[in-house]
Amino acid sequence: MSIFCILGGPPHVLYTFHDLALPDTGERRAAYSLFRTFFGARARSVTTMLPPLLLSLRVLLFAIPLLVLLGGGIGWLLARSDFPGKGFVSLLVQLPLILPPSVMGFYLLFAIGRNPFLKSLGILFSFSALVLAATVSALPIMIQSARAAFASVDGELEDAARTLGKGEWTVFRTVTLPLARRTLLVGLALSAARALGDFGVSLMIAGNIPGRTQTLPLYIYNRVETLDFAGAHAASLLLVGTGFASLYLVRRLEEGRNERRAAC
Amino acid sequence: MRVSLSLGVETGVLFGRSGSGKSMTLRTLAGLRTPSEGRVTLDGRTLYSSAERIDLPPRERNVGLLFQNLALFPHMTALDNVAYALPPGKKGREHAARWLARMRMEGFEDRLPARLSGGQRQRVALARALAAEPKLLLLDEPFSALDGPLRRSLRRELREIRAEAGIPILYVTHQIEDLCSLGDRVFVLRDGRTAESFPVERLWEKGARGEAWSALGWGNLFRGRITRCGEDCACRFEGERVGLSLDGGAHSPGESLVFVAPDKIRILYPDLPVDPDLGDNIFSAVVEETAPLGGSILLYLASENGVLWQAEHPSESYQALRLHPGSKVRFAVPPACIESWSGGRSSAKGC
Repeated sequence: MSIFCILGGPPHVLYTFHDLALPDTGERRAAYSLFRTFFGARARSVTTMLPPLLLSLRVLLFAIPLLVLLGGGIGWLLARSDFPGKGFVSLLVQLPLILPPSVMGFYLLFAIGRNPFLKSLGILFSFSALVLAATVSALPIMIQSARAAFASVDGELEDAARTLGKGEWTVFRTVTLPLARRTLLVGLALSAARALGDFGVSLMIAGNIPGRTQTLPLYIYNRVETLDFAGAHAASLLLVGTGFASLYLVRRLEEGRNERRAAC
Repeated sequence: MRVSLSLGVETGVLFGRSGSGKSMTLRTLAGLRTPSEGRVTLDGRTLYSSAERIDLPPRERNVGLLFQNLALFPHMTALDNVAYALPPGKKGREHAARWLARMRMEGFEDRLPARLSGGQRQRVALARALAAEPKLLLLDEPFSALDGPLRRSLRRELREIRAEAGIPILYVTHQIEDLCSLGDRVFVLRDGRTAESFPVERLWEKGARGEAWSALGWGNLFRGRITRCGEDCACRFEGERVGLSLDGGAHSPGESLVFVAPDKIRILYPDLPVDPDLGDNIFSAVVEETAPLGGSILLYLASENGVLWQAEHPSESYQALRLHPGSKVRFAVPPACIESWSGGRSSAKGC
């Protein structure tokens, strides 16, 4: 209770707190709540956590290829080609990084809702909306990394491959990609973590429908709303662990790259 | 840029200052750059023609290019680098191993370029360029980063390869040593244009030498008059803007050309005593421009009387002097190193 007072929680939270059917006697009440917190709720939270977790993973499964293709492609364009308005485009694709997710989500909601064709696709408040939200919020990170990765590959190496009789696709596959790989993977790890953790954009365009569009971050919000702190803890811990793992992976990749550079 | 050159089965040297368009010319020949107009043919095959709208991509040109920084693939071993030029498979790898052996690189097949020395990297890069069996080999100052002995041994190998391969080689350099030891024919590039072209031997022909050198844009050449003046048989040269003491004996008086090779000019250290043999050939100047030439630096020095001198200086001592454009410097022209020509007769005491 006091936590919510300090945090200034919304009134309906207070309501659910009073609405809990607790036994009357002080002793029993204390024992029950203790049990609920440490055993019952924890056991229950694992089972209720499972659908949001699976949904989050499913979203990632679709978002990652999109991030690789879109982020890698746009990053490559920004690093390697010149076109009119390039400066503007590179600013535009970085915008989701600094805009509040609610603003980003609001514009997406508006754009899709107002366009009859997009609306008829039934994207909003569905699984596709979740994938879209995750991709949009993580894309700037992937683009930035891909741009840096491709820019770091010496164009002369590609030219050398061309004079040795190789076509463009072979040059990309055998020279550009292997040399850009580490930075690309760093970008992918960071952007996947961001995609997994998206809250604001998902809430705006996919809603928070349990069983349908409730991903892990939204689930945590719901758990806290219903005072199921154990459930919130379990899910949060899982996301913290994932975050740590991806940062560790990034560090390992970067260390490897620096070692290689030092060896040169 | 406006470049025109034609080369038989010989080694052409593209000579010019940095920024004169040498590398650009090579890239155009290799197909890495598209010229706005013109024509490139190799062995009867049109590689590029703006009139016929032919522009073969680099992979179809069969032109090998050895880059200045070698462009070895850092993620591939020496063997993989060479094998890259060959069709994939076991045969290609065996062939690549043979090329490495030919470049005396046995035992280094599995090393990454980062773990090879500068000279070894050169050899791998050369093996890779040759393994593709090009019809024309372009070399973009490949030896500029190496020190003397290594350069000499690589130049020797390149001469052997040239004799074996029987293909035209076009070599870009701004180092006079490379030019003299490798080239058959010189193409002088100046401000993106082929200014001159002549056989390398002409540089050694008596009488023509000074002009040939000055055509390279290298060296200090003055026109003027030699007068006999001192009792110890010393001569004096009086040009329009410059006067020099010459070592006596070898020079004949009269209208004359005087040439001083840049590497003979001595930069004077401010706190060291001056060699009395230098006579009065000591000038104060301001550094106008510096151009690194690998092991040495070419300095453009504007002397007080308004003459622009070229002086070549070893890179290490250049760093010790802390020279940069704008800094004041004193230099000397050793009288024994001055060559002169008058009426077809050349003379130099030698130094």
